[in-house]
Amino acid sequence: MAANAHAVEEHAGPAGPVAHHFNNMRQQQATVRFGMWLFLVTEVLFFGGAFCAYTCYRIWFPREFEAGSAALNVGIASVNTILLITSSLTCTMAVRSAYKAHQAGIKFWLLTTIVLAVTFLGLKAREYHLDYEEGLMPTAKMTVDLQPQADGSYLPQERSVFAMNVEKALKHNHYDTTGVNLGRVQLFFLFYYVITGLHVLHMIIGVGLLIWQLILAQMGFFKYAERHVYIEVMSLYWHFVDMVWMFALPLLYLAGPHTLHQAVEQFTSAVGLATGGSH
Amino acid sequence: MTTKVPYLHYTPQSIPTPELPPEQEKKRKHYLNHDYGILSWLLTVDHKRIGLMYLVTASVFFLFGGLAVMLVRLNLIVPTGAILELDQYNKAFTAHGTIMIFLFLIPVIPGVLGNFLVPLMVGAKDMAFPKLNLLSYYVWISGALFFVWQLTVGGLDTGWTLYPPYSSKYSHTNVLYAGLGIFITGFASILTAMNIIATVHKMRCPGMTWSRLPLFIWAMYATSLIQLLSTPVLAVTVILLATEKLTGIGIFDPALDGDPILFQHMFWFYSHPAVYIMILPGMGVISEVITCFSRKNIFGYKAVAWSSVGIAVVGFLVWGHHMFLAGQGYYLGMLFSILTMLVAVPSAIKVFNWAGTMYKGSISFEAPMLYTIGFLVLFTIGGTTGLYLGVMGSDIHLHDTYFVIAHFHFTMVGGMLMAWMAGLHFWWPKMTGKMYSDFWSRLAAVVTIVGFIMTFMPQFVLGFNGMPRRYPNYAPEFQFLNILSSAGASIQGIGYVMPLFYLTASLFTGRKAGSNPWQATGLEWQTPSPPPMHNFDATPVVYFPPYEYALPNGLGMLADAGITPGSNPALEPAFAPAAGQHEVSHGS
Ligand code: HEM
Ligand SMILES: [Cu+2]
Repeated sequence: MAANAHAVEEHAGPAGPVAHHFNNMRQQQATVRFGMWLFLVTEVLFFGGAFCAYTCYRIWFPREFEAGSAALNVGIASVNTILLITSSLTCTMAVRSAYKAHQAGIKFWLLTTIVLAVTFLGLKAREYHLDYEEGLMPTAKMTVDLQPQADGSYLPQERSVFAMNVEKALKHNHYDTTGVNLGRVQLFFLFYYVITGLHVLHMIIGVGLLIWQLILAQMGFFKYAERHVYIEVMSLYWHFVDMVWMFALPLLYLAGPHTLHQAVEQFTSAVGLATGGSH
Repeated sequence: MTTKVPYLHYTPQSIPTPELPPEQEKKRKHYLNHDYGILSWLLTVDHKRIGLMYLVTASVFFLFGGLAVMLVRLNLIVPTGAILELDQYNKAFTAHGTIMIFLFLIPVIPGVLGNFLVPLMVGAKDMAFPKLNLLSYYVWISGALFFVWQLTVGGLDTGWTLYPPYSSKYSHTNVLYAGLGIFITGFASILTAMNIIATVHKMRCPGMTWSRLPLFIWAMYATSLIQLLSTPVLAVTVILLATEKLTGIGIFDPALDGDPILFQHMFWFYSHPAVYIMILPGMGVISEVITCFSRKNIFGYKAVAWSSVGIAVVGFLVWGHHMFLAGQGYYLGMLFSILTMLVAVPSAIKVFNWAGTMYKGSISFEAPMLYTIGFLVLFTIGGTTGLYLGVMGSDIHLHDTYFVIAHFHFTMVGGMLMAWMAGLHFWWPKMTGKMYSDFWSRLAAVVTIVGFIMTFMPQFVLGFNGMPRRYPNYAPEFQFLNILSSAGASIQGIGYVMPLFYLTASLFTGRKAGSNPWQATGLEWQTPSPPPMHNFDATPVVYFPPYEYALPNGLGMLADAGITPGSNPALEPAFAPAAGQHEVSHGS
C-alpha cells in the first residue's frame, strides 16, 4: 500500500489506467458517473427556474403567450426535434460501441451525432435570422403608425415597433389578434430567446464535448473498454439537452395553434425549397 | 530497527503516525515542499494546495469587504453623513455586502477548509475530481476578480439583493457585468459542491461508514446539496435580469406587466438557502472544535448530523419571509411564517447538543475554543432574533431596519465568521505544521468578540427604534449608538488584522506542531503536519466513531500509573485495540 501513496499520475492495471487518487477502475467509473448525475441535478434546477418563471407569466397572460407561440416557426422546430431525437439514438450507439471498445463504431456514431447536432444548430440559426427579419425582437422602440378610425379615416398614432411586427407576423399566420395586448407579447419572446438561447448554448458545449471525444477516439483513448464511461457520461449530458428541448418544444412552439400545412410551408420556405407562396 | 507503536495518547480512527526524529522530519517530503516554483502551485491538482490558494484569495477579498464597510461606518458617525456622497454611500454598502457574501462567506469554508479537509477526513488521496477542483478555483477567481474590477470602475449601487427596478431602470451602474461576475462565481461554487458530494460518496476509506463521518463532513455535504440545488436558480435569475438590462425592457418590468416580485421570489429561493450555505460549514467546524476542547464525544451525533440535512431541506421552504411586506399575499405570508419557525428547530438542536457536549467536559480555552464559545453565544442571539423577524406581525415593524442588519450580522459574523476563525486556528497547525502564538491568538479572539458585540448590539436598539437600513442619514437621536457601533467596528477590525501578523509570524518562528497538537481524534490528525502529497502514507482504516475522546483517557490513566506497553504482559491487550498495531521503521 505504501508504494501506492507516491504513485505517479497514472498506473496501468489490467483494467486500463486508473487515476492516481482512485483505488481501482470500479471506483473511478462509479465516481465519474455519479459526478455527471450531480451536474445534471444542477442543470434541472437551472432550466427549472426559467420554466417556472415562464409558467407564472403564462398563467397570468394566456392569450399573449398563445399569440407569441403562434408567431413562431414551428416547421423548423419540428424538423429539429426529429434531428435531436435521432442524435440521442446515435449517441447511445456510440456508447454501445465503446462498451465493446469497437473503435470504428465509436468514431462513426460520434461523427453522426455531431453532424445531426450541427444541422440542428444551423437550422436554429436560420430560424433566429428569420425571427430577426420579421422584427420579433423585444425592443422599447416606438414608431408612428396610421390607425384606422371608426369613420374610415386614418390617424397617426404612436405604437410599439414590436407590436406592429408581431401583428404582421400573426396576420401572416392567420391568427386572430383581437383581445391580445400585442406589446405584452414581448414577455413571451423574452422567454423564447432566453430558453432557446440557453438550450443552444448547451448544445454548442455538447458538440464541443463530442468533438473532443472524437479526437480522443482517434488517438486510441478508448481502446480500453473501461473508458466507455467517459462516452457514457457525455451521452447522459446529451440526453439531458434533448430532454430540455422536449420541454421547450411544447411550452414555446405548441402553446399556440399551428397547422401541419403551415409547418411544412414554414420549413420549406425557410430552407429555400419553396416554389411559390413565401412571404 | 522496527519498533511496535501501540495506541498511546488518543483514540485513533486508524493508526497514528509516530513523530519522526527531528533530522528526518526536516527532510520529510510533504505537500508544501515536494515541489517549488510558481507553476507547481498554479497548476496543482492537490486539494491541499488549492485550499491554500483559496485561503490567500478569500482573505484578500475579506480585506476589501472590510475596507468598504469602514467607509460606511465612518459615514454614519454623523447624522448627515460624514464623508460620502449619497451615490458613493450606495456603492460602498453594496460593495461591502456583495464582496462579503459572494466572494468571502460563501466560498471561504468550502473553498479552504472543505478542500483541505474533506479528503483528509474521509481518508482519501484527493478530491473525486482533482482537475475539476483546480478549474473551479480558476472559474471562481476570474469571476471574483471580474466582479471586483466592475466594482472599482463603475461600482454597483443596488444593494446585494439586486432588486429591480433598482437594478434595471434606475441603476446607473454596471449591473450587467457585475451580475456576470456573480454568475461565474456561482458556477465555481456548483463545481466545488459536486466535487465534495462525490468525494463523500465515493472516496471514503475502509471502515469510514456514514455514521463514522466527522460532523464537519455532514455539514459540508448538506452545504453542497444546497449549493447544487439553489445556485442554478440564482444563475437563471441573473440571466433574466441581464436580458432585461440588454433589451431595455424586461421580464421584471411592470411597464410590460412583468412582475418585480417574481424576481424577489427567485432571488430568495437562492439567497435564503444561501444563508445556510454560509452558516452550515461553520456549524461543522464548531462540532469538531467543541468536542476536541471539551475532551468529550459529541452529544447526540445523529441529531447533529441529521439536523444539517434538515436545515438543507427546510431552508428551501422559507424564502418568503424576506417578502412579508413586498405584497406576496397574506396567506402565503402566514405559511412562510410558520415554516420559518420550523427552520429554527434544527439550528436549535445543534446549539443544545453543543451545550450538552460541553457539559462536564474538560474544557480548555485555546483560541479555537474561544472563537467557538463566541459562536455559541452570538449565533444563538442571531438565531432567536430571526424568530422576531419571522413572525409576520413583528416583521412589519422591523423589516428593513437595523434590526435586520444586526440579526444577520449576528448569524453571519457572530456565527460564520467566528466559526471560520475557529476553524482556521484549529487546522492551521495541520496546514502549515507550525503553531502560532497562544497569547496573541487568544487576545485576538477576545478583541474580535468584544468589538463585535459593541458593533452590533447597538444596531438592535437602533433598528427597534426605527432606524432604516441603507440610508446614509439618520435622525440625530441615533447618533450616540451609531458612534458606538462605528467604534466597535474599529475594534473588530483590529481583531481581524491581528491574526494576519501572528499567523504569518508562525510560519517563520512558530514551533513545530507535530501531527496532532490538540490531541484530536479525526483522521486528519493521524497523518503528519503538513500532510504528505497523497495525504496518508498508508490507506487508513477506521474502527471507531469520530469523537471517541472517552477512550484515550483510560489509556492515559494507565500511562500515568506507570503502565506502559511491555511493562506488564497481563495488561498488554489494553494496548492493542481493534486497530491492531503498526510496524514503523525508525532508522535509529
Ligand atoms: C435561525 C433561524 C433564522 C430565522 C428564523 C431567520 C429569519 C429571518 C427573517 C424573517 C429575515 C427577514 C427580515 C426582514 O427582511 O424583514 C431574515 C433576514 C436575514 N437573515 Fe435570517 N434567520 C435565521 C437564521 C439566519 C442565518 C443562519 C443567517 C446567515 C448565516 C441569516 C441571514 C440573514 C440575512 C443575510 C438576512 C437579510 C437579508 C437582506 O434583506 O439583506 N439568517 N432572517
Ligand atoms: Cu431568510
